[in-house]
Amino acid sequence: MTTTAIIPASEQGLSASLQAFFRSLLGLEEIRGLLVPLRSFVGTMPMPTLVTDTEMLFNAAPLSPVFPLSAARLAARLTRKPIGGKIAAFLRPCEIRAFIELVKLKQGRIEDIILIGIDCMGAVQNRDAKALNADNPLKYDDDFCKAMLTGSEALPDGMTLAAACRACEHPLPEGTDLAIHLLGADLQKGLPVVAGSETGEAILQKMDLSGADVPGERGAVVEAFIAERIAYRDRMFEDTAVAVESPVKLSRYFSACVNCYNCRVACPVCYCRECVFLTGAFDHEPHQYLRWAERKGSVKMPTDTVFYHLTRLAHMSTACVGCGQCSNACPNDIPVMELFRMVAHGTQQAFDYTAGRNIDDPPPLSVFRENEFQEVVGIK
Amino acid sequence: MNRKIGSAMVVGGGVSGIRAALDLAQFGYGVTLVERGAHLGGMLSHLDYQFPTDHCGMCRMLPTVERDVHVEQCLRRGLDHENIEVLLSTEVMAVSGEAGAFEVMLKEENRYIDPVRCMGCGLCADACPITVPNDFNAGLSTRKAVYRPSPQTADHSYRIDGAACSRCGECVTVCPVGAINLKSPGRREFNVLVVDDEQVVRDSLKEWLQEEEGYSVTVAASGPEALSLLAETPAHLMLADVKMPGMDGVELLAKARELDPELTVIMMTAYATVETAVDAMKKGAIDYLLKPFETDKLIPMVAGVYDAFEQARARRITVGALVLCGGTVCYDPTQGKNTLGYGVYENVVTGLEFERILSGGGPTGGRLVRTSDGKPVSRVAWIQCVGSRDLQAGADYCSSICCMHAVKEARLAREKSAGKLDAVIFYMDMRGFGKSFHRYRDEAETLHGVRFERGRIHTVVPATDGSGDLITRYADETGTVRDERWDMVVLSVGQRPAPGIETLADMTGISRNAWGFAETEAFRPAETTSEGVLVGGAFSGPRDIRDSVIQASAAALAASRVLHGAGGSLASTTDAEFEERDVSREPPCILTALCAGGSERLTAELLADVATALLSDPAVRRVERLDATHPGEGVEVLARLLKETRANRLLIATVMPRAWKGELENLARRSGLGTDFITVMDLGPSLGPENTPADAALGALLHVTRTGVVALRRIAPGPVSEGPVAQTALVVGGGIAGMSAALGIADHGFHVDLVEQTDALGGNLQWIEKDLEGNALGPMLADVLSKVETHPHIEVHAGARVVDAFGQVGKFVTTLKGPEENLFTRQHGVTILATGGTEAVTESYGYNESDLVMTQKELATVLDNGGIDPAGLRQVVMIQCVGSRQPPRNYCSRVCCATSLKHALALKEIQPEMDITILYRDMMSYGFSETWFTRARKAGIRFIHYDLENLPRVEVLADGVDVTVREPIIGRDLQIKADRLILATGVVPTLPPVLAEAYGVDTDQDGFFQEADPKWRPVDALKEGVFGCGLALSPGNITESIASGDAAAQRALRLLVRESLHTGSVVSTVRSSFCTLCERCIDACPYGARSLSEDPAELVVNPLMCQGCGACVVACPSGASVLSGFSKAQMLETIDSACW
Repeated sequence: MTTTAIIPASEQGLSASLQAFFRSLLGLEEIRGLLVPLRSFVGTMPMPTLVTDTEMLFNAAPLSPVFPLSAARLAARLTRKPIGGKIAAFLRPCEIRAFIELVKLKQGRIEDIILIGIDCMGAVQNRDAKALNADNPLKYDDDFCKAMLTGSEALPDGMTLAAACRACEHPLPEGTDLAIHLLGADLQKGLPVVAGSETGEAILQKMDLSGADVPGERGAVVEAFIAERIAYRDRMFEDTAVAVESPVKLSRYFSACVNCYNCRVACPVCYCRECVFLTGAFDHEPHQYLRWAERKGSVKMPTDTVFYHLTRLAHMSTACVGCGQCSNACPNDIPVMELFRMVAHGTQQAFDYTAGRNIDDPPPLSVFRENEFQEVVGIK
Repeated sequence: MNRKIGSAMVVGGGVSGIRAALDLAQFGYGVTLVERGAHLGGMLSHLDYQFPTDHCGMCRMLPTVERDVHVEQCLRRGLDHENIEVLLSTEVMAVSGEAGAFEVMLKEENRYIDPVRCMGCGLCADACPITVPNDFNAGLSTRKAVYRPSPQTADHSYRIDGAACSRCGECVTVCPVGAINLKSPGRREFNVLVVDDEQVVRDSLKEWLQEEEGYSVTVAASGPEALSLLAETPAHLMLADVKMPGMDGVELLAKARELDPELTVIMMTAYATVETAVDAMKKGAIDYLLKPFETDKLIPMVAGVYDAFEQARARRITVGALVLCGGTVCYDPTQGKNTLGYGVYENVVTGLEFERILSGGGPTGGRLVRTSDGKPVSRVAWIQCVGSRDLQAGADYCSSICCMHAVKEARLAREKSAGKLDAVIFYMDMRGFGKSFHRYRDEAETLHGVRFERGRIHTVVPATDGSGDLITRYADETGTVRDERWDMVVLSVGQRPAPGIETLADMTGISRNAWGFAETEAFRPAETTSEGVLVGGAFSGPRDIRDSVIQASAAALAASRVLHGAGGSLASTTDAEFEERDVSREPPCILTALCAGGSERLTAELLADVATALLSDPAVRRVERLDATHPGEGVEVLARLLKETRANRLLIATVMPRAWKGELENLARRSGLGTDFITVMDLGPSLGPENTPADAALGALLHVTRTGVVALRRIAPGPVSEGPVAQTALVVGGGIAGMSAALGIADHGFHVDLVEQTDALGGNLQWIEKDLEGNALGPMLADVLSKVETHPHIEVHAGARVVDAFGQVGKFVTTLKGPEENLFTRQHGVTILATGGTEAVTESYGYNESDLVMTQKELATVLDNGGIDPAGLRQVVMIQCVGSRQPPRNYCSRVCCATSLKHALALKEIQPEMDITILYRDMMSYGFSETWFTRARKAGIRFIHYDLENLPRVEVLADGVDVTVREPIIGRDLQIKADRLILATGVVPTLPPVLAEAYGVDTDQDGFFQEADPKWRPVDALKEGVFGCGLALSPGNITESIASGDAAAQRALRLLVRESLHTGSVVSTVRSSFCTLCERCIDACPYGARSLSEDPAELVVNPLMCQGCGACVVACPSGASVLSGFSKAQMLETIDSACW
């Protein structure tokens, strides 16, 4: 029996009622810390912050449309070894899915963390975030959120949500201990919170919140919300497929790549300590460049840009959660996310796998089946 | 390794011959592997797929430790172990001597083409006008008289089929390297000189001996003329007339033998001078011929001299032991009445032919079409037991392998046709008695949609519409006659003794059984009636791959015992070590040598262009042309060039790559440059045909040479590490398999700890009195027990059990608890698990309700101790497969059918009036036990088939047991009131999972020891150094258990013989600074060589277990997994050069 409770509405708004929820959560004996987006200084972006003192939570910004980085790797870092108690983490759904992928890759542990998610309204590109500076950021966050729930974006003229968010078909928290609902909820009454695990249920009981039912209209609201995103996503896939349909077009797609590797640093599931592209495998002999140039008449420097992206696709596309941080991080506005999402969609479908969906699904590349994709590998 | 401490010969190069040869070679013996065919692999080289994996997997027989001695990674390509000399196209001509020192005379067939010079270009085959059936494709396609015998071997050289060749000489003209020599050896090389003053004698002898018999004959009319001819060309035989004017025959004889003391002379004489001729024999003539000649006297006499000449030329090898692995041959279905129309109707094929049709390298390129008319195949019938289980065909035995190969073929055909093909197997009993076979067969039916029809088809007729389709008529189980139409009918032909077995048996003195197979001693699976002559594989009876491989290892053990017993005689010497330059830290400086053999295609201009292009790479020091037609000639030159240039890497691009590889050790010795730093590339394919345009030729040459340069530049051989070996073994389980294994090891001088948890050794043999054939077990057991108990190298720990164990190959540590609860530990290099098995328990068929229902084991016991009086019994029913061959115990226990036959025949002998009914699903009387099934039927024992849908029903009464069974032929229930009901419940293993786990071994889903590979490594665990045998490994009869014990011992000995084990030079390592500990590589490693160490948290590789496959490198995204010799940079550059 799933437990549903109500986080009471606050007169100060939605963010404030969530802050109150965080306070009582952190007040529980067994929870030693809370990882939550928080503006440490006025006018700055909310950053993932590990909070132990409830007093610090007045700056928590759970509903901000700003998503400077994915906190999944940070959550993994916090849980990699026993931390001496439990911590809670309030994360976006894509961060939660990325964290689950990292757990499967042994980069983090799920035992000591309580995952809390919320219906995600999306975020803007980092470069747009500065333009969103408001005198009362929490009110801005609330207004953005409410506007999104009524179907308008409420962003300054010419600004839209990041493409990754507009194409995101997984805006609801999955696999969490606690999931907070916005879609279809009567926000006048408060925010429904649903336990997704025994741990979550136990917490809700201790928090002494009043119980409630999930409103019946939620289903339809969610469906419409996701349908719009899937439609956007599919248009994006179509456009991207055309843009990369030949090797020449693919080279053109990545022609602005400067091998800064920011995208891989920003990628929450790119978990290597050091990228293979920095390990010496690509330390070509000086005369090799000359030979390449001689072969074709010229060779673009740096080399290995398309190769780098293809390699990252090979390594990570089955784990891609579509957070869009790669595009966020690109200094030259390469639509990295668009291609990665498109390829990831294909590779994950091929293995009947959805990154981050279920902690028990083995990552496709860790499973060996002797008889699969024979049409591809050409055996038989 | 090079520790040749004795030598053996293996005859037959199929998988069992390869297994035996490798086993002996790995122990350190020198092995001569003789194969009369032109390639290794025997029957299996024609088969692409083996169940249960439906892949090949033969390479899994290659050495897993000290694996660098074997360079070739695919056994279909070749076998190149340094202790094995492979002699192909070679027959054994004679065997003399005795165990410990056999002299074997060998004869090699002429291939007419020098394999060293031939670069495999194939121009000869294009030119050859003669087309013959291609036996590699079972005759379904054609080849030329000059051909490559197997498309798979690394040896690309061609050969000439002497029987088909017309000696037209076209190939000689086109060969670019002059490798072909059509001069036939043999009789044509045997020169006969005829000396007679009579023209008519000279002419007629020349006519008979040269034109008809094929010898080379020269004639002389007088003694002086003969002597002058002899001075010019030596002759092998002189036929001299006694009476000639001037110099007579006797004088000629004396003078000729002065000239050539080896000359054989036969005198020709008229009746009047016989005495002179006899006199001449005292002076060295070997015989005389009386004129006028009769050809039937003359010709055998000359032939006799010729044979002696051949024998003198034949190669002789002295070996300590002979292992005969001659295999089997498929039954020829045209023999007998041939009611199935093989050879009459084109679309009736044998199983082997069907495998070739399935093969991508076969006559149809793997497309499922009829070879006769190209019609796609959509309905296929398999007919089982063609030439097996057939008294008329002289085969009252089961060929053991055909059921499973039919199931495999049907599954593959279904898969290949995406399930569109109708595949039906007509069978009498479906004998999938191997370890995982029954599940494979079930899957064929349930997953793959293969139809199984019980029934024997007697006749195949063609469809009357001339379509080439075939009609089968058969009576099904209910007796209804049915006609079915097929595109193709596949005959599952049985196995027969290999041709030539009679001769080999005569030469070696071994006896053969009633069906012509080699006969082995009871309970000694590899030993023949002739000491020192062992048999492996299917030579002693039809066997599948697994059993053949086990049998081959058992034969290797028996051979090794002979050699060891003879003091490891006939040792070859080891070459001295040499000083190798340490160039590993020098920047690469490459010498490139291009060697085109005799080909003129590599012109000076081309060479200059190649040199210019290569020298633009700063790592290339010099490019040279090497004008050697044989690598031996080039070694000196290269050694000098290496010294001159101080180059520290050498690339040899050559049309003779295999021959050069054979010279590398020699070259390393002469030059001081280690073989790791020398790369040989095959230039043959890139030289192209005669009129290749210069730029295309240059491009092709650069492909090859650049790829080689790149590989050399990045070469970084890792240090080869070694681990010490505790040269003792621990055997857990004192049944017959464990004792056999212990004796096998101890007989080679290594200490064995034999642990038995009960107080007595012997296991299941303690309750079995006789085997099916009637051999008594008591004396055998007593013999083995006394050997074990008195063996100086065996320490028996009765009443002891393993409480804890850890470690790995070379060093395991086991803690044992003795009978007095005393704990003690043993260190050992290898572990053998022989914990046995027992009869399965059952609750079915009223077993718990009455003493009248008992198991076969219980019946054996009461028969033995008089607990039952068979004379008083009138009705006995036996039920087979109780709980067996159905989930969860979905495997065949192999022994129950034989046991039931044995008991039924025994009961019948005591009380002939007794009615015995055996209710069975499939009678598994495989191999020669089939004959006992026949005897049982003749003795009046009734067999009724049941299936899982219609299980027998049992009601226990006070005075008997009512058994009701559906009789399929009459289609009605049959009720039998039995005095006793005997249940065959099958075998379950008694291998405690915790014990297996302690040694790092898995158990399979039925609890048996999980072998590394069910076919190719049947007694090894995946974890090196642990072996399984006996019932813990698999169900099997006593002889089979002994064989697996012997095989386990042999596999263990190859490790124990070493004081330390070397890792391969290609092993994977971890760069911890890059490692994120994601453990993907642990999942990816097929050898269990990787693990996570706790403190410090680090990924570690066991280099002895690592086989250098590189799966971990692929799995690792960050480059933290590294395979020595295959760095990412090297791979990328190599690919880049190859795509140039």
